[in-house]
Order: sequence, then C-alpha cells, then structure tokens
Amino acid sequence: MALSGTFKLFDAENDVVRNIKSTISSGIWSTGVNTLSTAYSQSAQSSSTGLYYYDIYKTSPATDSEAEIQYSITYGHLHGSGSLGTVGAATGNRASAAIHAQLVNLVLGPNVEKFTYAGDTTSKHFYAISLKRARMRERLDPGNWELWLDSGANLVKLIDDSGATTNPTSGIGGTVFNVVSGSIQSGTASTKTAAASQGGGGIGLFYPDLGLIVLNADQMDSLVADITTVTTSDTLGGNVPRFFDSIVQGAKFQARREERLSSTHFFCRAGNKEFNFSNNPTFFTSSDGTFTQPTFFKDPKTYITTVGLYNDANELLAVAKLSQPVLKSYSREALIKVKLDF
Amino acid sequence: MGFLNNTTITIDAVLTKRGRELLARGKNEFAVTKFSIADDEIDYRLWDTSHPNGTNYYGSVIENMPLLEPVSDETQVMKYKLVTLSKETSRLPILQVAISSLNFTQGGGNGELLAPGTMNSTDSEQGYTFIIHDTTVATLQVATAAPSPSAPLAAVTLSDEELTQSQNVSGLTARVLPQVFATPDQKSTQITIVGNQTGATTTVTVVVNKTSLGSPTSGVTKQK
Repeated sequence: MALSGTFKLFDAENDVVRNIKSTISSGIWSTGVNTLSTAYSQSAQSSSTGLYYYDIYKTSPATDSEAEIQYSITYGHLHGSGSLGTVGAATGNRASAAIHAQLVNLVLGPNVEKFTYAGDTTSKHFYAISLKRARMRERLDPGNWELWLDSGANLVKLIDDSGATTNPTSGIGGTVFNVVSGSIQSGTASTKTAAASQGGGGIGLFYPDLGLIVLNADQMDSLVADITTVTTSDTLGGNVPRFFDSIVQGAKFQARREERLSSTHFFCRAGNKEFNFSNNPTFFTSSDGTFTQPTFFKDPKTYITTVGLYNDANELLAVAKLSQPVLKSYSREALIKVKLDF
Repeated sequence: MGFLNNTTITIDAVLTKRGRELLARGKNEFAVTKFSIADDEIDYRLWDTSHPNGTNYYGSVIENMPLLEPVSDETQVMKYKLVTLSKETSRLPILQVAISSLNFTQGGGNGELLAPGTMNSTDSEQGYTFIIHDTTVATLQVATAAPSPSAPLAAVTLSDEELTQSQNVSGLTARVLPQVFATPDQKSTQITIVGNQTGATTTVTVVVNKTSLGSPTSGVTKQK
C-alpha cells in the first residue's frame, strides 16, 4: 500500500521473506587466506602463560606490530606430568594437569577423566590446537582443514574424517569427528588410513563448533619423529615447544571457517506511478517549486540511490545503497531486494 | 534479438545505530513495516538535454557515477526522499512559514506559534514534523493536532550531541517555548519542519537572549 508521499508499506505476505538460512565459508587466517605456511611464537609469553600454551602468529610479533594470534597449542596430562609441581607441593602449578582437566571438563561428560579415541583407545595425555575465536568466528569448517607435522624426513598430514562420516558423534563438545591421516589437496578429503584402522588407536578428535583439535599424544610420539613427549613427574618437559617446532617445520595449516547467517529479504517495489518526484534541492527551484529541468514536467525522472527501512514510528532501522543510480520514471518500475543479515 | 534484463537488484542493508539499539532490546522491538527511497548524492543539474546522442543519454552522467557506501548514522542518510505525487504536478511542494527566525528573551510569554503551509501541495491530513535541535534553547508543544497524525519523522541531519537534546513533535501547528538558562548570554538553534505527506522541508532559526536582572523586557520579536 502506498502511503501518500515518501513511504510505502510492505505487504508482509508478499514483500518480506524472513529467516532465510545460508552458510558462508571463508579463509580462516588473517587477511582471509586459507593456508598458513609460517608459524611464530612470542618469546615474551614463555615466561608467563607459556608454561600452559603457546599463541601462534602468522607473522613474527617481534618485527610486526600488527601480528595477530591465529591459534594456540597446548599439552595436557591427566597427572600433570611434563610440568612442574606435584599434588601437595608448594611450588609449581601443574600446568599440564590444569590443561587436561580444563579440556576434559569442557568437552567430555561428567565422571569422564580421559579422552577416548577411535578403536576405543584412551590416553592420559594429549596435544591440542585451539583456534582463536576471532579467526574462527562461528565454527571451523569440517572437511576443509589439513595440518602438516614434520616428522624427520617425512610429513604427517592430518585431516578430519567428516567426509566419510554419515552419522557423526555429538556430545557436550558439540559435533565431533576423528582426526585421520590424509589430505584435502585434491579438493575432497582423501583418507590415507581410516580412524578405525589406525594402529594404536585414533590419532585425535576434532570439535568444529569449539575450533578444537585434540591429538592423542601417544600417537604423536609414535607417528611424529620430532615429538618425544616428556612424561616425567614434576619436570618442565618442553612438550609444547617441541609440538610447535613440528608445526613450524611442517609449514602448512590450511583451514576454512564457517558461519551460518540468518537473513530477511525485503522486496521494495516502486510502481510506475510512485516515487517519481524528489525533495532533492537540485530537483526544483526553491522560489516557486518549478522543475530545474523543464523536460521533467509530466515526465519526471528520478534516480534511486538509497533505500531505507523504517518502523511504524518512522525510525530508520536499516539502510542500503545501490552501486549505481537507477532511473525511475512513469515508464519504469523498480524492484529492489534488500537483504538484511542477522 | 537480445534478452531483456529482468533481474532484481539485490543490495545488502546495514543496520543504523537506532536499528542496532532496537535489535538489542529484543526481536519484537525491531519491526520493519515500510520503506522509503532517496536520491542522496544526485545532482539533477547534471541531466544534459543537449547530449549529442539524444534522449537516452540525457542522464548518462548521473547513471554512470559510482555511489558511496551506506553509513550507519541514520542522521546522515535518506536526506532527500523520493515522493509520490500526481503526474500533473508542475511544481514541487515547498514549505512556507510566516516567521523565518524567532528572537526571544527568556521567559518570553507563551512562546510563538509556528503554522507552516505547503505551497503546491498539502500536508493538511498528516501534518508536519517539527524538530528542534537543542531543547536547552527552546522546546516544542503541539498546538493543533493533525486529522490523521503521523509519527514524527526521524531527525534529518543532526549531530550526536544534538540528537541527545533534540525533540520531535508532529501536528499541524506547534508552539515554541523558550527555555531559561544561566549561561551564556545568548543561545540559538534551528527548528526543522518536514511535511509528513510531501517530505518538503524548511528551517526556522531560534535565538533566545538571557534576561538581565531588572530588565523589564520580555517577549518575542519576529523577523519576516
């Protein structure tokens, strides 16, 4: 229904389409790229939170003041091995025990104290990669990440098995897939060894909603020659730095992020008899209101550049601009779909 | 034979500050019910009736210009709305107010009545929106309500500071009431009047002078 003058009411039945869901994926790392070939840590961190985790940068924070954290890596052990401190001791904060308890509490059910991997294998310790929330936004895109770890003369290439899983497990940590050896370089996941067939049990678990990759430390010791996990009690084992070195030497972490957008589409219909005049001060003379262009009499032309969405109180709630002006006249109608994402 | 382009123009909208505020309050507060179209950035003097290629190219300068991205400040967009009028319209609506500026002294009696009229059209059904940009100078009061009152239109081009102090009322006529203040000696602001049907706009300047102690003068002087 056209209001007199400057507004036109939406027909809620025909002009407004609500709650349209769409999934958007994009490169996860800074500047929108999907592959990291470098990894840097921050030396200043090693004396503070570095006992717990390392923040990983795309560029060196020592030389690039705008270096951004991409993800963090950590090591957890059920009993705190590989870190300083013991139960009842006055010194040492048992960093690996704290990390282990933290992630178990976050993603496993009550009364579960260890991760269980494919093949019903459990392990007392793990390495974990936690994606920075700002990089991940909503979730890590399953089936679209690949991490290379250096293993002497070879590379261990890790992906998830979401492409081969029709009925993924879902628990407290959301959907979970197995981490398997393989590659996505061909565009689709190519699994080298399925999780169930992996000798020694599953390599790890992948929680896309949390942006978390948990790697079975026993399997890391077995598969990655550069990683020799120190599990001595009350000892600063240096496990996180060794895991970091393996990532640096592997020199590839490819990943995408995924967002689910909810949109509303407003179809703004300007009929042939509507919106053909303008309050633009260049459209008419201020003295008597005559057209600045005499040819506009009985054949006015206006140009649409902006569409505003209003509520009943005449408050402008959203605004959209066209890339180029669109001509409107008595012989032309305009249908503009305004998309509002939430 | 070529194909006609019948595709719908699709554009992404950005929420204004007011839109975000209402969205944050809950989904029921954010209810889009109508739209308006504007031609901000267009200068119709670029319409070139002497273009050598003929009538189809009169607007080519305008049609090929790039446009700026939208901004989220609702006071800086939708400045010049397109309006629906009769095809026979030969003159655009112009708001006229008998008083172009008001000069008060503090405590200026019953204030002054603003009774705009719309030349070349009418706003007599839905009335006018009166926006005073600084209520520390003067306030507005509806004197005559419109037969089919419209909600006040949002302020047109006000700064953040002015928005916090602005006041919008809607009616056929409104009374301007000067305020009392300690400092400075003189304050001024503007009243923007917008036709609720035609979208036509005009402004009135308001000046309020501080009353000196012992001064017998009070009231209003009008400038036509």
